[in-house]
Amino acid sequence: MSEVSRASRRCFFAAAVGFAAAVGIAGPASAQDAFKFGLAMPLTGSQALYGQDQVKAAEWAVSEINAKGGINGKKLEMIVLDTQADPQLGIQMTNRLVSVEKVPVFITAWSSVVKAVAPIANDNKVVELSIGASSPDVAKLGDYVYTTFPLADIDITAVAKYAATVIGKKKAAVIYINNETGIVPAEVYQKVFKAAGGQIVAVETYDPKATDFTGLLLKVRAANPDIIHLQGLVADIPQVIAQMRQLGLTQPVTSYSAAFNPKLIQQLGAAAEGVIATSLAPGPEDSEKVKDYVARWQKDVGREPNGLPYTEYLYDAPYLVAAVLKALDDKKEPASGENFRKEMLAMHSFALPITGKTTLNEDHTVVKPVYLMEVKGGKWTRRAVIGE
Amino acid sequence: MLDPTIILQILWTSLATASYYVLFAVAFALVLKVTRLFNFAQAAIMTIAFYAAFVAVQWLAWPAWAAFAAMTATTLTASFALERIGFEALRKRGVSVMFVFVFTFMVSEFVDYLAMLIFGTWPQTIFPTMFWPVTLVGNIAVSAWDLPAVGATIGALALLFAFMRFSRVGQFMTGVADNPDLAELYGISKRRIFLVTMLIAGAFSGLGMFLYGTRAQVLPQTELSLMLFAVAATIIGGIGNVAGAAVAAVILGVIQNASILVISSEWQGFLLYIFLFLAIIFFPNGLRLPQRRRFVTTAREVPVEQGAPAAESKA
Repeated sequence: MSEVSRASRRCFFAAAVGFAAAVGIAGPASAQDAFKFGLAMPLTGSQALYGQDQVKAAEWAVSEINAKGGINGKKLEMIVLDTQADPQLGIQMTNRLVSVEKVPVFITAWSSVVKAVAPIANDNKVVELSIGASSPDVAKLGDYVYTTFPLADIDITAVAKYAATVIGKKKAAVIYINNETGIVPAEVYQKVFKAAGGQIVAVETYDPKATDFTGLLLKVRAANPDIIHLQGLVADIPQVIAQMRQLGLTQPVTSYSAAFNPKLIQQLGAAAEGVIATSLAPGPEDSEKVKDYVARWQKDVGREPNGLPYTEYLYDAPYLVAAVLKALDDKKEPASGENFRKEMLAMHSFALPITGKTTLNEDHTVVKPVYLMEVKGGKWTRRAVIGE
Repeated sequence: MLDPTIILQILWTSLATASYYVLFAVAFALVLKVTRLFNFAQAAIMTIAFYAAFVAVQWLAWPAWAAFAAMTATTLTASFALERIGFEALRKRGVSVMFVFVFTFMVSEFVDYLAMLIFGTWPQTIFPTMFWPVTLVGNIAVSAWDLPAVGATIGALALLFAFMRFSRVGQFMTGVADNPDLAELYGISKRRIFLVTMLIAGAFSGLGMFLYGTRAQVLPQTELSLMLFAVAATIIGGIGNVAGAAVAAVILGVIQNASILVISSEWQGFLLYIFLFLAIIFFPNGLRLPQRRRFVTTAREVPVEQGAPAAESKA
């Protein structure tokens, strides 16, 4: 037994030495010529379509930062790992970023992954930047988890207030999908609409597997609202609106970023007219920078990116990381996770190249402008910008 | 809420949307009746059918009739391959029913994953538009999708009934369903009948997906959840009773939609599971109407295996 233990110890020691030599554990990034940060995204699997484009956007930003001299002459190095949008794999990759690559900050996305890896970030005092997950829960994941992507309640608050005060609707109906995408935002909408002086006349929900919405829409019709807010998923929003119009509900419809896509207009035709949705990132018509960015996609890749707004946030993320690392370097402070967090919160406001001003709050939320888009004449047009 | 217009509207829409559920349920029940397989690979056939039609319309810009023909051809080919490469090989190896059951799940998951890799996770419809114009009949909104869907379903059911009743192959299917070994003694090729059954089920699944995909968006995982409804209808309609499954699909659809008149909408989806639970616990042989005399006589004359419908009929 003791022979076995000694042999095991020797093996373990040899393996540990070999491992340390192989990965070059020589200290944190601050001591070397490059500043490292991590990016854990789905590069394979069902979500790769979006993940790969987001990584490409971040890679462009890192190249540009380095082309302009990096961080005080030191290179910014992005370690990209594949999560497949799977929490288990996300944990493995995060452990590698934290323990092997020794990054002070890493970026990740997809709510299940963001939530699963949060304890690793908190335990190791490494900053996790969530970019894309919009559940309000993201703000409650611990001291080291922050988001640069606005959480769901920001745009819902904006659209509810806008409906009651600017459009002047007094009676609203809320229809939502019965899962985490729908429940909390529907509550937020009701609260804000009522606080703005409106009245909620109907609240109906549907099962994520529902394929027909006649019954609940007839109930909404019977309540005779002035406006209808729909909080569903990309998969069901067009069908709910189609059935709404078929059943004679002609009221204006508001929704959120899931409704803001060109396919909605293609699928609904004239029935899409007047639908108002939110966008959390500017479109090509809002800014020359976005126009150039989309043109670059067309030129380099031959198409628009999948999930344009998300790629805009991913493009901006290395700029935020670089700004914080530069501030630390200017102060000659080591780029540890603790220092990164402290400096990021001290700076708290960042002028990012594409999505614009980004303010990180102490309560782990972020303030960004909300773009209200409306279908007019068969295309999405900007109706208002709230919080610019 | 108990306005007659509302009740009639719910009834009409439920009947119209029951069209694809009926087709899925009949496909599932028919395979179960003849081959005694819980064929969850039907979801894979449905996925293939939908994306075949989608590619024909949206990628190749083919007209609807050509897309339907391409979808049918692809679906029949996939059904043929599933039967010959999959089920027949497993039967020859004499594997257990449970093993085949697991195989069908594996096939459906495999095709789902493949579809996700090829077509992504963005929901799709067969035609670019999914909005169907509406005509008011009285105060009831009848969409341009409703009548063709109901008509196609009734037509398909009538053809199946005529085929089973009047064609020799159809009668052989009934014979194989009752007792495959005895049927073979009478010179009926089980192999051929199993193949015909899979092809008919494939055609029904394809038609159902064509109807569904022209009205709602589809993700690679959609088909498996649609299957659950077919399974519930098959169990409630009585295992081995194809007509019972069709009727159960209509009734389930109507009850589920009409339930909103008395319960909160968030409980609508849950109803299906309640029906399934009650059916499995209290009515494992389905809710049955009194049997007709002629059927009972057949049951007495032909010994059947456990689980076949005739064995469960009460004399």
